[in-house]
Amino acid sequence: MADTPDATGIRPGIRRLFELAIRRRDRTERNVTEEVALHIELRAGQLRRQGMAPDDALREARRRFGSLEPGRSSIHHDAYRRDRAMRLREWLHSLMQDLRYALRGLRREPMFAGFAIVTLALGIGANAAMYGIVDRLLLRGPEHVREPGRVVRIVTTVARPGIGDVTFGSAGYVLYDNLRTAARAFDGLAAYLVDDVTLGSGRGARTVRGGAATADFFPLLGVRPERGRFFTPDEDVPSRPSHVVVLGEALWRAQFAADPGIVGREVDIRNERYTVVGVAPRGFTGVDLGRVDLWVPMSTYSQAVTSNWPRAWNSQWLNVVGRLKPGVSLDAASEDATRTHRVTYDGPPKPMAEARMTAVPVRFTGRGVESNEVAVSRWLLGVTVVVLLIACSNVANLLLARAIRRRAEVGVRLALGAGRARLARLFLTESLVLAFLGGLASLAVAGIISVLVRQSLLTNVEWTSSPVSGRVLGLSLIVATAAGLLIGLAPAVHAARSSLRNAMQRGSTPARRLGLDTWPMVLQAGLTATLLIGAGLFTQSLRRAEAAPLGIEADRVIVADVEWSSVGDASADARATERARRVAVWQRAAERVRDLPGVTHAALAVGSPFGNSFGQPVFVTGWDSLPKLPGGGPYIAAVSPEYFATVGTRLRRGRVFQSGEGDGTEPLAIVNETMARTLWPGREAIGECLRIGAEAAPCARIVGIVEDARRYELREDPSMQYYIPIGQERDFGGTVLVARSGPDATGATVPAIARAIEDTDASVTRAVAQPMRASIDPLLRPWRLGATIFGLGGVLALVVAALGLYSVMSYTVAQRTHEVGVRLALGATPGDIVGLIMRKSLTMALLGMAGGILVALYAGRFVRGLLFDTSPRDPAVLATTAIVLVLAAVAATLRPAMRARRVDPMRALKTD
Amino acid sequence: MATSRRDLLPGTLDMLVLKTLSVQSMHGYAIARHIERVSNDVLSIEEGSLYPALQRMRQKGWVKAEWRQTPNNQRARYYTITAAGRKQLGAEETGFADLLGAIGRVMGTA
Repeated sequence: MADTPDATGIRPGIRRLFELAIRRRDRTERNVTEEVALHIELRAGQLRRQGMAPDDALREARRRFGSLEPGRSSIHHDAYRRDRAMRLREWLHSLMQDLRYALRGLRREPMFAGFAIVTLALGIGANAAMYGIVDRLLLRGPEHVREPGRVVRIVTTVARPGIGDVTFGSAGYVLYDNLRTAARAFDGLAAYLVDDVTLGSGRGARTVRGGAATADFFPLLGVRPERGRFFTPDEDVPSRPSHVVVLGEALWRAQFAADPGIVGREVDIRNERYTVVGVAPRGFTGVDLGRVDLWVPMSTYSQAVTSNWPRAWNSQWLNVVGRLKPGVSLDAASEDATRTHRVTYDGPPKPMAEARMTAVPVRFTGRGVESNEVAVSRWLLGVTVVVLLIACSNVANLLLARAIRRRAEVGVRLALGAGRARLARLFLTESLVLAFLGGLASLAVAGIISVLVRQSLLTNVEWTSSPVSGRVLGLSLIVATAAGLLIGLAPAVHAARSSLRNAMQRGSTPARRLGLDTWPMVLQAGLTATLLIGAGLFTQSLRRAEAAPLGIEADRVIVADVEWSSVGDASADARATERARRVAVWQRAAERVRDLPGVTHAALAVGSPFGNSFGQPVFVTGWDSLPKLPGGGPYIAAVSPEYFATVGTRLRRGRVFQSGEGDGTEPLAIVNETMARTLWPGREAIGECLRIGAEAAPCARIVGIVEDARRYELREDPSMQYYIPIGQERDFGGTVLVARSGPDATGATVPAIARAIEDTDASVTRAVAQPMRASIDPLLRPWRLGATIFGLGGVLALVVAALGLYSVMSYTVAQRTHEVGVRLALGATPGDIVGLIMRKSLTMALLGMAGGILVALYAGRFVRGLLFDTSPRDPAVLATTAIVLVLAAVAATLRPAMRARRVDPMRALKTD
Repeated sequence: MATSRRDLLPGTLDMLVLKTLSVQSMHGYAIARHIERVSNDVLSIEEGSLYPALQRMRQKGWVKAEWRQTPNNQRARYYTITAAGRKQLGAEETGFADLLGAIGRVMGTA
């Protein structure tokens, strides 16, 4: 055994292959000990020859060798150091060698390498992209917030009789004020809200996202301004609010060209003058994730709510957040807030007096649950992990097939004395190289997927960081390494287990016996089936949600609202005059809009679907109090005669209002079917009386019955609704114009409507029109998201799995050429052969489908609540998935099967 | 021991070892014995320091080592001078000659 490479002239790489399994340090020590022993023995021999007694000779030899121990340890040390340096060199050398070998192997099979790298890049890239998103939404919290883990949202839960507990995030200023003064679990509390506001004045005005916050909001979060300052408590005193504004960085850049002298300039917000005092840092969105363009003091915003807003309990328009004292748990904070609220509460007895306060993480919505965005990103992450698993199992399968194909080569290496561990390492290096290349390519994939997801699915989030951040890069590397180890495992184990004899044998050992089993393919098919079933369920839900009868034809309805020039403080008389004038303007506007090309009807309404909803006490003869329906109500709307024809709510019986019926004429009403059925069961409602507002109010005669229309949601419990002629409404207001577009209306119709209204009268400073669909689309988001997520994941998985199946079947056919030859020689028809190959492929697909169905049935209970009128066991979805899977399996197997059919029996038999 | 023995001048051990190995490859004991014999037992090397010196020189690449059988069939590590070792020996010999000349001049023998 040579102990140094130089001694024998054998290259380190070769020598290493022959290395004995002893630890190097031991060997070095043994060498030195042996050398010294020999020296002493030879010296003693010489002394004996000079006539010394054997014992004396040995003693003298030892003495003359000198102080043995220090010498020896220093020898050991030097030798060890030398050895270690050499080992590192050798290790690097062997690593380079392995790398070179792996790269050479991959270059030799570009198809295989390309497929593996692309597969891994898709899997890793999808995960990296989703990590980038989850990182923002879940892990790091809102930007610029110091220690976001301690910032909580305070939500209120009250018991509503007959309905149960209702949790909401909105609160009155008084609640914030009370908690701030008396709660002990918090370092501070603040209130904020975000709303659409008008920036600028006149036609050049635009709608932006405006935040209103109490002055303590910014120090509580720990955010520092980009420029200038945030507002001070002095500027946010309820009795004397200051008109100051902090601009968002993006708005400052876009609207004010990043003017360095912005502080001190004045801007119009909601038709009032505000002085800019600062600019918020880039990407600051408060505690929510959506863009905020400007921040004004809560007290300036709240003036418009009610006159007694600082102490009013009946209005709830803001959100309360707090920073927990260090070490205080969410439960303790909730308890403290509840206790504080009950002690300080001074409003009407129920239900607020017994309200419960809960502190939840800020990423939760006001309903005390995780926001849609967070839930979506969780699902997305789950789906991408599944895709990664499929990708890994696929590449592992390919590598395994390749390892088996290289059995002969492995045999040669074993015969030359290569260690099994060394061989395993070689395969592992190969898989790591693949994974690393895949990881590099994944960065591009991650960039594309992040941008897509950000723009299509998570549009409500203000993104400032680049899609591929350092953290995403780091994760890609980690995932790539993990994937490399995972996919290298099977071939490495296979290599380590292969015996020389086995490996050197040529011929067609069945693939199954060698570990290239069908289970990875079945697993892939199962995972793919699960994703496809999910995609099918959500697509089905989306279709049904889109087609859900709403009681209106939302697709053709456009809603328009206006802003009026300010009249300032006016007497009650002047206000009444102005109101009458505005009604007239509205009516003129409706006429103008009706005449527009592309518009068939136009009407006015106070209260409209997916807009405003109002309630007033109603008294009906024969009822002490009206029955409570789960959908609430009764709800009232004041509408012009053409309203029902405009929005597409069908008249069931009776008639609609006529022109001329309105202010000052006989009170009339139209009720919906639920109301007619509930209050006058089995009788005709037309001709009955509604007394609206008070028991002594005049009788509003019912003249018609219309179908139920939705108010806010796609799925609603039935509620009582009734309509009165516009002009007869009392104590509620807020007119909108609804227009019905023709079937061939173009996109220009919507702005044309806004312009027509603006041109009606000089007192209209601005009109905003938008399709009603725009209010409904957000409601479809959950299903659209689910369908998109699972659809994308499912298609990705299907493609990857089908390619994997193709490669495995190709390999199987190549392996079984001999067997096929024998079968053909024994009289099997080519059709039999195709059937044989297809059967194997379809078995795998169907086994996977069965597994997928089992998973889907099990997971069904978790998604049931997320679906719209669709059972998790929807037979159409399951059947479609099975068909898609089978078709994909057939497509992937077609070419290999055809190749098997063309096997020439004579040649197949001769080669063996 | 009849003859008086002298310790080596510091720093000359490497030179002596290299010089010895320039004749032929030998194991540690043979190196020590060769130096004793050639110097008529005047020079005695500190045997405990011979092996560390050999390891050091191996590390510097002046000598290489390999295990071989001795003529008496014992396993021994044989050291062989390398090209780098010969170069080093040349340098040390020159330096040593200069030193000897200088000492001689001081002692008045040259």
